[in-house]
Amino acid sequence: MKRNLFLKILFSYLVIISVSFFILHLLVKDRISGIMTAGIEQELMHYAELVDLNAPQAMSAHLQRISKISKSRVTLVNERGVVFADSEKAIAGLENHLFRPEIQEARLRGKGKAVRYSSSLGVNMLYVAVAIQDGKNSRGYVRLARPLHDVQSAVDQVYQSIFLAMLIGALVSLAVALFFSHRLAAPIRMMEEFTQRLRRGQPVGSIMLRTSDETRTLADNINYLVEELRDKIRLANEEKSKLMTALTSINEGVVILNRDERIEFLSPLLAGILSGQYEDFLGKTLLEAFRNAELQKAFQSFKQTRQSILREIALGAAETVIMNVSLSEVQGLPGEEKVMIVFHDVTRLKKLERVRTDFVANVTHEIRTPLTAVIGYLETLQAGALENPGDAKRFTDIMLKQARRLHRLVEDLMILSRIELGEVVFRFEAVFLPEAMDSVISLLDAKAAAKTIAMQNRLPQNLRPIKADRDRLSQILVNVLDNAVKFTPEGGRITMEAEERGDQVVLKISDTGIGIPVEEVQRLGERFYRVDKARSRELGGTGLGLSIVKHLMLAHGGRMEIESRPGRGTTVSLCFPLNGPVKA
Amino acid sequence: MEEKRHTSLHYEKELQTIKDGLIYLGVLTEAAIGKAMKSLSGRDTELAHQVVREDDEIDRLDTDLEERCIKILALRQPAAIDLRFITTAIKITGHLERIGDMAVNIAEKVMRLNEEPQLKPYIDLPRMSELVGNMIRDSLDSFINSDLEKAEQVRRLEQVIDDLNEQIFRELLTFMMEDSKNIHRALLVMQISKNMERIADHAKGIADMVTYMVTGNCVRHQSCGMTT
Repeated sequence: MKRNLFLKILFSYLVIISVSFFILHLLVKDRISGIMTAGIEQELMHYAELVDLNAPQAMSAHLQRISKISKSRVTLVNERGVVFADSEKAIAGLENHLFRPEIQEARLRGKGKAVRYSSSLGVNMLYVAVAIQDGKNSRGYVRLARPLHDVQSAVDQVYQSIFLAMLIGALVSLAVALFFSHRLAAPIRMMEEFTQRLRRGQPVGSIMLRTSDETRTLADNINYLVEELRDKIRLANEEKSKLMTALTSINEGVVILNRDERIEFLSPLLAGILSGQYEDFLGKTLLEAFRNAELQKAFQSFKQTRQSILREIALGAAETVIMNVSLSEVQGLPGEEKVMIVFHDVTRLKKLERVRTDFVANVTHEIRTPLTAVIGYLETLQAGALENPGDAKRFTDIMLKQARRLHRLVEDLMILSRIELGEVVFRFEAVFLPEAMDSVISLLDAKAAAKTIAMQNRLPQNLRPIKADRDRLSQILVNVLDNAVKFTPEGGRITMEAEERGDQVVLKISDTGIGIPVEEVQRLGERFYRVDKARSRELGGTGLGLSIVKHLMLAHGGRMEIESRPGRGTTVSLCFPLNGPVKA
Repeated sequence: MEEKRHTSLHYEKELQTIKDGLIYLGVLTEAAIGKAMKSLSGRDTELAHQVVREDDEIDRLDTDLEERCIKILALRQPAAIDLRFITTAIKITGHLERIGDMAVNIAEKVMRLNEEPQLKPYIDLPRMSELVGNMIRDSLDSFINSDLEKAEQVRRLEQVIDDLNEQIFRELLTFMMEDSKNIHRALLVMQISKNMERIADHAKGIADMVTYMVTGNCVRHQSCGMTT
């Protein structure tokens, strides 16, 4: 950069110098030699006119002197052109001079001159001839010749000075070029380095220049632009991080596709569902990332219509997550249209929906079954069975049993809804758990004994009392224990254990019953949910027992956990907080 | 393979549609297997019928893809890696189409099984179906990303599926020996298991083709000397 600038400046200076000297050369060269030749010519003319041809012999004798004085070769030529005297050469070998240009000119005008190159001397010679007049007749010519050494050397001298001046000029311009190129290049170099750093993304401050010319303005402009750029980048980054925070923190899955239909953004929520890392999905197509035919179909139909689409699509490995998927176009710059896909998780909603419809179906079913039986037997009685006391007794027994079941069902439902509505008033007091357990066991003892089920109460007697509502607690225990007795085959065993864990008492009721499949455990506690519908009803359950336990435990600030292995048995863990529920 | 760009953007796009089509086909077959399995464990005959109906789309896509591949072969005359890509793609669609047919086979067996009470709770079969689905997915992944490691993984899984099939076979044998009334159902379940095993074979076939596409070495048969 610097070198370039320097050469450019130097070159332009040299061109200016050369051109001016060339012009000088054109102007000066002929002028100098012209002036000098004219001077010599005048001088020689004067000398020539002094020569008198009237006395040729005398003249010949003086010829050497004249030649010396005039510093020239003197030749005397007669009117026919024959040389009869010469100061430097022998006359014998000389040819006729009549047709020499200077003699010719002198013959016509009285004076003549010519410049010729003398081959004998190797220089330009100036010849001056004067015709000697004798009256009207020309008697001969005097010719003086002088080599133009002086003129040449004078011209040479002038040129020497000129070249010297040129050299000095060139040297000066070299220095000046160096100086200016340095002065000019320094700020430019600085700006160059600055912009280079900027390009590489290194931290830059601003350019400080001490000059005050155009480069200063340029530097100021660059500083301003850099500042502006920095602001813009900062703003863009802020916007981006805001957007990213928003997109990643909302509880919806978001996918943005660029115009090549490749994923540009995928929210972490979705990455989790697809069990992959966020980076893995970038640049993939929707199909590659999701592997979902339904989604692809929705996307295809969206592409055709370009209208927003809302679909319900199951995602995940076993299609366990149900999503409301909406596809819509994001308007961007022309050719930058993007597609935004928003996934709204409706799995819970769907589940609740199912629980609700199940509930209604179950309630009606549960109520209808005993009612049908009651009505059936009543009709039979009316049709005449009333007359037969034996049958009537049997039928009314069955009807009573069914009516009680109906009553129990309605009772349970009422308790449940009252707990849920928060209408049940709990009276919390210190309850000694082994004591409560004993009273519950005594209630169910007969039932267990009938199935030869061993009840083992292993509750430690030093257990600290818990805060609970005595009646509700025994309801919890009855429900759980009753279940255990119901689902444990004859000869089985039910074990009750308890231990303190921190500020909790964990009561475990394990049986050796039929157990519950793993995938069903989650649904226990839902109203009317039964693992085996037929069998449960046969055993006289309402399908609400565990649901009530679950809600009562929640009201006590505790929770219920169920572990089970099909065929091996079930363990129900009840966790009671020692201090009762935390008051909100 | 992805880094390289063809001079013709259009050509690039054609290759991409082949890729997309294969993935879509893979997704459909995977879904078909999943649905067939679900119809078995959930005793959902309607779902089994759906699997049979949806196989038409798999068949249609298969011929469509093959046609497009042949068109590229004829018009573009691909060389080297692209040639291997196209020929591999043609073979893969064949494999996928067969997998679709197997899913239909399973669905048909399920329809007959659902007419009778369930023989036993299915434990190994759903696991098999899940693994087989993963194999299809992984084999296609390895194809798209030229991922040899994934292809190797698929080959390893094939052995696991073989073992599972063997295990199911032995288990069903005991059922049949117990009671001759079980034989009909046990045979149907066995056929389902066999179909799963054959699907795994096809997935392995895809993985082998991928290895051939990437390295140019044939790993299909031990004694095969085909190279490019």
